Amino acid sequence: MLGSPFLISSQRRSMAAVLVSATLVSACGAATGPASSAPPASATQSAAASIGFDGTLLFGAAISLTGSTAKEGGLTRDGYELWKETTNANGGINVGGKHYLVATKFYDDESNAQKSATLADKLINEDKINFLLGPYGTAPTLQVSSVAEKNKMPMIEGNGAAESIFSQGYQYTFGVLSPAKNYMKGLIEMAAAQSPRATTVAILTADDPFSVEVADSARALSVANGLQVVYYAKYPNNATELRAPITEAKRKAPELFLNSGHLAESLAIVQQAKELGFSPTAFGFSVGPSIPDFQTTLKGDANYIFGGSQWTADLKFAGDDLFKTPANYNAVYLKRYAYEPAYQSAQSTAVGVAFQKAIEKAGSLDAKAVRDAIAKLDFISFYGQIKFDERGINIYKPMVVEQWQNGKKATVWPPDVATAKPLWPTPPWSSR
Amino acid sequence: MDLLQHVLNGLLQGFIFALIGLGFSMVWGILNIINLAHAAFIMLAAYLAYFLWAGQGIDPFVALPLIMAILFVVGYVIQSRVINLVMRASVLTTFLLTFGMEALLVNIALRLWTADNRQTKPFYANVSASVGDLRLPYTQLGAVVVVITLTVLLYLFLDRTRTGSSIRAVGQNRVAATLMGIDIARTYALTFAISAALAGAAGTLLSTTSAFSPGSFGVFNILAFSVVVLGGLGSIPGALVGGLVFGLVNEFAGTYALEEREVVVFAIVVFVLIVRPTGLLGREGYR
Repeated sequence: MLGSPFLISSQRRSMAAVLVSATLVSACGAATGPASSAPPASATQSAAASIGFDGTLLFGAAISLTGSTAKEGGLTRDGYELWKETTNANGGINVGGKHYLVATKFYDDESNAQKSATLADKLINEDKINFLLGPYGTAPTLQVSSVAEKNKMPMIEGNGAAESIFSQGYQYTFGVLSPAKNYMKGLIEMAAAQSPRATTVAILTADDPFSVEVADSARALSVANGLQVVYYAKYPNNATELRAPITEAKRKAPELFLNSGHLAESLAIVQQAKELGFSPTAFGFSVGPSIPDFQTTLKGDANYIFGGSQWTADLKFAGDDLFKTPANYNAVYLKRYAYEPAYQSAQSTAVGVAFQKAIEKAGSLDAKAVRDAIAKLDFISFYGQIKFDERGINIYKPMVVEQWQNGKKATVWPPDVATAKPLWPTPPWSSR
Repeated sequence: MDLLQHVLNGLLQGFIFALIGLGFSMVWGILNIINLAHAAFIMLAAYLAYFLWAGQGIDPFVALPLIMAILFVVGYVIQSRVINLVMRASVLTTFLLTFGMEALLVNIALRLWTADNRQTKPFYANVSASVGDLRLPYTQLGAVVVVITLTVLLYLFLDRTRTGSSIRAVGQNRVAATLMGIDIARTYALTFAISAALAGAAGTLLSTTSAFSPGSFGVFNILAFSVVVLGGLGSIPGALVGGLVFGLVNEFAGTYALEEREVVVFAIVVFVLIVRPTGLLGREGYR
């Protein structure tokens, strides 16, 4: 009878109650506390600030550090941090002759758009940040943009590409990246220009605003380039059990297979397509192939696969910023983090670069003055041209196509920036 | 032929779903705990399988018994040292406790192992046997053998051994079982440990079929819940049937109504809950 739960003493029971609440508190703490990889905030900052700097500028962001886009969120954070460290090592931000140290504060939005907006509000109104950096992903960016607008807080973002973000008429949100409709453009033009030329296409997309915008534009671009769309389907967001649609796509025998989604699905699709023996002339993804995990997880199966990319280290820009060229950015990033940057990292760094440029141009920390300076930006960075149209999105920077070739990423399209010819067509799974 | 491929896809996935449901169902049926940490146990096992393969070169199917043993110990300790302390409280308390454990384990995993994607990828991973136009992935075929073996062993253990009888007795009537001299705390711990070991097998198998990161597993709690609803609470054949039915429903909803797949799948789960609350097999298990 001893040890029976019917005989639990009150002391043990209260211990258990404490444990329950402790577990819950720690769960919540992990969810909303400041992200740990940011250096322990105020102490180091104020210590450093006292040496050679006239003040500190606090930049904040709510990023997906856990949840379905945790990987992409981590790349975003690393991009922001590299900008901060590089800027501080070079004298910080110069505002009318005064040098300001850059500090960052990050919260984890758990890949939840509503939470991202709540945390952005907290950053602005409780943490009193000076400027807002964008979250990861279109849905959170859309939510956060309305918070920025309400608080008249300038936000530059690098990871929300849907035009729905920029059709709200908002004045305070700017995106450095190319809009969603360009993600598949290069891929489709490339497929139409190869020999044998692709004539049919299957499109499988995640059912979120960004992915659907990409997929719908891919459908229109396919038709415009003379490809017949033989399969088009949306799957519930975050679904990675995709054997059913892949079996259906295989039945339609498309020459080009396009997926508009996220890293997790791109991995699942390649694995499940291999299992099911689905081998079109080419696989193309909007998100996935540019992220290192694509190759480290899929290994040899990553070869021959194409991805649309906002940026690659192969591009040739002579940037008017601390990083100067894509190749130099790549080297600095690799040295700092021991992995090569994905475009998600580069465009996050570019957000900081754009902010710095605008603040220095404005010569003031006034939100309205900085906002106006951002709107007028037009310069070449390591990331490409940064200039915003009247909606606040960067329509001036081109996108490229990458392909995994023999375990290495190569830029294969457009021809004027390509470092390698596309490997075309893709051989069947058995001979890769 | 495509229809047959869809059936195969659904059934092959269904066996792994059944395994996930089996452990979940056992703890729910006997301990009356809705164990939201079940998915975290699957996650732990997936990482164990990955590190044993990537670091030591141990094949996941060889490592499977070891991983199950480790998860058994983890489960035993958690039940006997933590959950047993609140077993007399309402279902909500254990529900919250396991929810907290899940969040804790997932966030620890995220700190330790980051959000990088990984896959246990022996040479036969994602490779299929071909039968005509049909494709049968080797890892999923291996999983079928594992699931059937474990299901039979569990059935024999509960049906034929003294310890198994005591577990069933506790599930039927705690008070009577206590009066018969069964050590309830130990029986609880043993049941929870077996469930964790089954989650361990599921995690090992899943790590070979797809890429994962700490956030990939939460979905399996809802899946396990659905399998139990479909098959019937606390029944071994029920979990098997529930898993296979869920696999088929998921596959065919994905074929004919991909965009609304979740609506279709969960509408069916709710429908079964209303029309046959005891599950498709219509009987309660372990009795």
